[in-house]
Amino acid sequence: MSGKLKFLLSFLIFLWIAGFMIEFVIPYFGFGAFLFPFLKNFYGNVCHQQPEKTIAISSHSMLVCARCGGIYFGAFLSSLIILVAKFQKSLPTKYFFIAGVPMLADVLLYSFGVYSYSKTVAFLTGLLLGSAAFLYFYDALLILFREKEKKEVK
Amino acid sequence: MKKILPALVPGFAAGVLAIVPVAKNFGCCLIIPAAAVAAVFLEQTSKGNKESVEMSRALVLGLLTGIFAALFGSAFDVIITLVTKSNELVSAFGELQKVLSNLPLSDEVKQQVSNLFTNMINDIQATGFSLVYTISMFFNSLITNIIFGLIGGLIGAKIYNSKNQAMNG
Repeated sequence: MSGKLKFLLSFLIFLWIAGFMIEFVIPYFGFGAFLFPFLKNFYGNVCHQQPEKTIAISSHSMLVCARCGGIYFGAFLSSLIILVAKFQKSLPTKYFFIAGVPMLADVLLYSFGVYSYSKTVAFLTGLLLGSAAFLYFYDALLILFREKEKKEVK
Repeated sequence: MKKILPALVPGFAAGVLAIVPVAKNFGCCLIIPAAAVAAVFLEQTSKGNKESVEMSRALVLGLLTGIFAALFGSAFDVIITLVTKSNELVSAFGELQKVLSNLPLSDEVKQQVSNLFTNMINDIQATGFSLVYTISMFFNSLITNIIFGLIGGLIGAKIYNSKNQAMNG
């Protein structure tokens, strides 16, 4: 995949993150206030947005919960890594499931009352799954482009 | 019909789950990608073949799953809003106003944003339907569901093909 496409992927994830961080942006760009209600509704499609599970810094909070935020930041982190590092081999699928285990365990353990919800744990487990999921998505994209090239050659 | 059925079933399930609060709390942003993964596995299982899934086909399945989830999710939301005369927008309005009041903006801007939403909420509480809300809700879910469906479709194909390769040696 060309550097431009890798950069585009990173940029798109950055835009997605900027969207749910709108509350932090509004003090610097006032027009964001009009976008805020629409973005809140927009991200409401992909997240429950419960205030007690959302990361807030000095009265500004993200429009997605800590876990979703972790997933997207993880994906962004991986997208930055692939900008500089080359992946020669496909990652085995088992690593994808291994990356999902901490998140699943966290959801189950706090749901059954073993411990109370922690934004930090939710964010970190999301970060792990998000970064792994992005690598699989990227690998799948590479295969898609290869398939397309083969079809064009034929 | 055979070509869209593997996406229709998980798309319908995702549309339902996306409006059930408990399921939404658990599944969050993973409901649609999981539905797209299910669509890929469902198609291969129904075909009964052991060939790899083409990524382009996985993309189509992900796209269709996203579209169906948006259609069913929006339809259920409209029906529930019509019956209950309330929805997420109505219940979140208080919080929305609180957030707006904390933002460093002029009172005029705050009032304009607030008016925009008060009109929609008044319609919903009076008749159970707001055209502006319905259109924005449908397009919002269509965009997000398509994005997450495409991602889920590709990841699903990657998982299926790896599993397939391992099983076939």
